[in-house]
Amino acid sequence: MNPAIVALTIVGVLIVGTIGLALFGVRRIKMDPQQYIVGGRSFGTLFLWVLLAGEIYTSFTFLGMAGWAYGMGAPAYYILAYGTCAYVIGYFLLPAIWRVGKERSLLTGPDFLADRYSSRALGVMAALVQFVIVVPYVTLQLSGLQLLLRLAGYGTFDATIAVCIAFVLVAFFVFSAGLRGTAWASIVKDTLVLGAVIFAGVAIPRQFFGSPARLIDQVLRVHPHMLTLLPGTATHGTVWYVSTVLLTAIGFYMGPHSMSAIYSARSENTLRRNAMLLPLYQLVILLVFFAGLSALLIVPGLRGPAVDQSFLLVVQRYYPPWVMGFVAGAGSLAALIPASALLLGAASIFSKNVLGTFGIATSDAGRIAATRILVVIVALLALWFWLEEQRTIVELLLIYYNGITQFMPAVVAAFLWPRANAWGVVAGILAGLALVIVFAITNLSLWGVNSGFVALLANALVLVTVSASTPRRVRVV
Amino acid sequence: MVSLRILLAAIPITALSLAVPLVNRVEPRILGLPFVLAWIVAWVLLTPAFVWSIGRVERRW
Repeated sequence: MNPAIVALTIVGVLIVGTIGLALFGVRRIKMDPQQYIVGGRSFGTLFLWVLLAGEIYTSFTFLGMAGWAYGMGAPAYYILAYGTCAYVIGYFLLPAIWRVGKERSLLTGPDFLADRYSSRALGVMAALVQFVIVVPYVTLQLSGLQLLLRLAGYGTFDATIAVCIAFVLVAFFVFSAGLRGTAWASIVKDTLVLGAVIFAGVAIPRQFFGSPARLIDQVLRVHPHMLTLLPGTATHGTVWYVSTVLLTAIGFYMGPHSMSAIYSARSENTLRRNAMLLPLYQLVILLVFFAGLSALLIVPGLRGPAVDQSFLLVVQRYYPPWVMGFVAGAGSLAALIPASALLLGAASIFSKNVLGTFGIATSDAGRIAATRILVVIVALLALWFWLEEQRTIVELLLIYYNGITQFMPAVVAAFLWPRANAWGVVAGILAGLALVIVFAITNLSLWGVNSGFVALLANALVLVTVSASTPRRVRVV
Repeated sequence: MVSLRILLAAIPITALSLAVPLVNRVEPRILGLPFVLAWIVAWVLLTPAFVWSIGRVERRW
């Protein structure tokens, strides 16, 4: 039988089956905005763990990490480190965010800022900015999906239309199931991804090299400097490593989808237990790293965006089509399920913080209807961006992180510095974003430091200066 | 007890960020991994223990 048909059939069955199972899981749930957007604030430790893992471990983890291992080697270590650092920060930050959300019935990140700084304008501004920033993150998932479908199709067809179909399917899935549906789908997705990653990171190195240790021997023989970072200020050197780990660890929870996940927790301790358990999931990333290195030795010569294919190419060339189908199916879910959470997050902030503030769709039924329509609109917007502007997976992730991290000083100041006010926060965010854009356009390098990190420092500085020189905020408690 | 909690949080974060340039070498290899990678993996595995300890200090569990 044609290998493309075998592989693509398996991919299709996995995607449709997962969505079907998730819809089955939520069939008796009555939808109100609390339920739709934050799952009724009722998720226990395990369910939340699965949801968070489902949102965090995306096609970036799956393809981007392997691609970086393949293309660069040691700089990819940052991916292991930043999530772990973020969880430690999250132990302190998340329960505090959750408590405010529960007391004040907040649903979104911009809600939080608007409430803490008593400024609805700040809420609107934050919602609009985050809405725009999320688009490249969704686009990243689409790039990953296209890659997977093209490889599973063994080059026999152009995957663009398949990507559009899969994506519209997911948009309608979120449309009907809300956050709880995403959590259900994450259970299946995580199981499949785990299986695929263990295969790629354990079975491939064993079969071709004998063991991961032998694999590393071989890599060191061919590329002796690849598994350590370049010193100091070199591109992707140690300075870059430190600043990138800190930047992305700080920005980790600022996305609209993460804020909904935080609010979906049943209690503060649910979040603390998750902060403790999530680092264990990082080990999956180590296996992906091995898979990427194996690919470097087995199928050398990929350049530029093609590195994202790395170990998938090995699977495609050396394993039967059904294996390709399972790996590509798991990978596709790793793109689609986080995309569903992102769509829901972006749609929620727009309906609640932009439309809601201007008095549109304020009833419960109206808000759900508006959020649902917006889910579809964001999906179409991301599709359009993707068709217009095709970039590599890592570039897209860095655009997202540089932007979204600029909200962190405002959130932290809300807890630690009573003097911070809406003026300072808005000025800080705008200054940070302006710098991010300037750095992106001019491609300026500052002694190897990640440019988003520089923007973050400027943001904090502006926040403090402007807050200190304008009237105190009036606190509503 | 504020200082102890912060210390327990700062140790893994520092080990995974600022300390990495100091251990940036291949030898000695541990379980076949280059030293810097083994260092990072070890700290990823140790971090839950640190977070658990913070919870104990705060009497959360």
